[in-house]
Amino acid sequence: MNPTIKGYIRENGSVGVRNYVAVIPVDDLSNTAAVGVSKLIRGTVALPHPYGRLQFGSDLDLLFHILSGTGANPNISAAIVIGIEDNWTNKVADKIAETGKPVAAFSIEGYGDLKTINRASEKAKEFVQISSEKQRTEVDLSSLVASIKCGESDTTSGAASNPATGYAVDKLIDYGSTVMFGETSELTGAEDIVASRISTQELREKFWKIFKEYTNIIESQGVDLLGSQPTEGNIKGGLTTIEEKALGNIQKLGTKPITCVLDYLDPLPQGKSRLCFVNTSSAAAEAVTLFAAKGSVLHLFTTGQGNIVGHPIIPVVKISANPKTISTMKEHIDVDVSDLLGLKIDLREAGERVFEYAIRTANGRLTASEILQHDEFSPIKLYVSA
Amino acid sequence: MAKALIHEKEDNVGVLISDTKQGEEVEVFYIADKNPLTKVVSQDSIPLGHKIALRDIKQGEEVIKYGRIIGVATKDIKRGEHVHTHNLRSKRWSFPLRR
Repeated sequence: MNPTIKGYIRENGSVGVRNYVAVIPVDDLSNTAAVGVSKLIRGTVALPHPYGRLQFGSDLDLLFHILSGTGANPNISAAIVIGIEDNWTNKVADKIAETGKPVAAFSIEGYGDLKTINRASEKAKEFVQISSEKQRTEVDLSSLVASIKCGESDTTSGAASNPATGYAVDKLIDYGSTVMFGETSELTGAEDIVASRISTQELREKFWKIFKEYTNIIESQGVDLLGSQPTEGNIKGGLTTIEEKALGNIQKLGTKPITCVLDYLDPLPQGKSRLCFVNTSSAAAEAVTLFAAKGSVLHLFTTGQGNIVGHPIIPVVKISANPKTISTMKEHIDVDVSDLLGLKIDLREAGERVFEYAIRTANGRLTASEILQHDEFSPIKLYVSA
Repeated sequence: MAKALIHEKEDNVGVLISDTKQGEEVEVFYIADKNPLTKVVSQDSIPLGHKIALRDIKQGEEVIKYGRIIGVATKDIKRGEHVHTHNLRSKRWSFPLRR
């Protein structure tokens, strides 16, 4: 029999592992009101961000995709959307409402911040009370949608924490779960290995197009990337080149075929047992934010030197094999697999630690990033505003 | 004795899993079966996670890890020396781009 998790079944059948009321500002100007509501109403989570004005084209589409996708995420039981004016505010709210969950939209023009906070808070209180009666129920593990990324990686990531996570990814997919990965630029040097694991020619071509477009942008700057890719932290940890970093990165992808390839705006298709490439930035918060917007409810994050990223609505499980980082930054690390690096345990035992922790987190155990309030919400911006 | 790992048997660099002093002997293990493969004397003090050359690598020669090219040696590297940004560069993203 398949393992189960205790999750929240939402109106559209998707399964969450947290149960928040989100307060989503459509634009930078609306952050104050959104944060204001979250300070007044317990159980709400505000998602402030610096964007949303004068964006256009695919950059604007991506912001809408991220805002509405985050509101639609199954970890959210209900959503309040606040924007400076009606049209874009309703656009985001209407998209979230397609999930069937309660949504309310408020615009600030014609009211001001204080009346908007008042109106939105009354609705938020109602939503939190509805949300507080939602119960966790036993659901099949196949309903879990998760994501993976590494950050401030070092050679211990490629040698231990990433392979251990890859073991857990294989096991999740065997049980029917969906796992998303991305970091387009950080596949450079291992992109052919990733491409060879993609299940169809059509998807492979799509991957190559995405990969080449992304790396062309980077290379067109004509600058030395040392310090950016690899990062200064990577270099301190012993990683020297992007190729070495990429070959370590892909150790966390497990061994399953890659059965979907998603560009920025593509929604996650329905299905089970999927390993999905998502075109993302390699910056931790931007990638996790996009995974959550596409429906990931739980993120497995490996680190060598100690990336401390979290997300406001999805638990980020921090996995490390670097004994120095585990000792000096212990409050940030959830899963210690340094014994694998030290040749004391085998891959299976380390991978089981990651898998078991993922299940406990799905069942409600809070991660270090959640308790330490690492609430990074970082939409990707593609180009300048108009 | 210090320890290092190699990912694939054709790799010409290993990863140290403990801080290593100059002159210290390093035992190199194959990651797949944890068996010791060779020993090398460290020519530098090298921190945990950093790479050590397992054989002499000539300037311009490719550096191999995971059985794959991770870059090119920018100077002659002796067996046991620290391999990092001072003697290894990317083939992909060094400036100016080499392609």
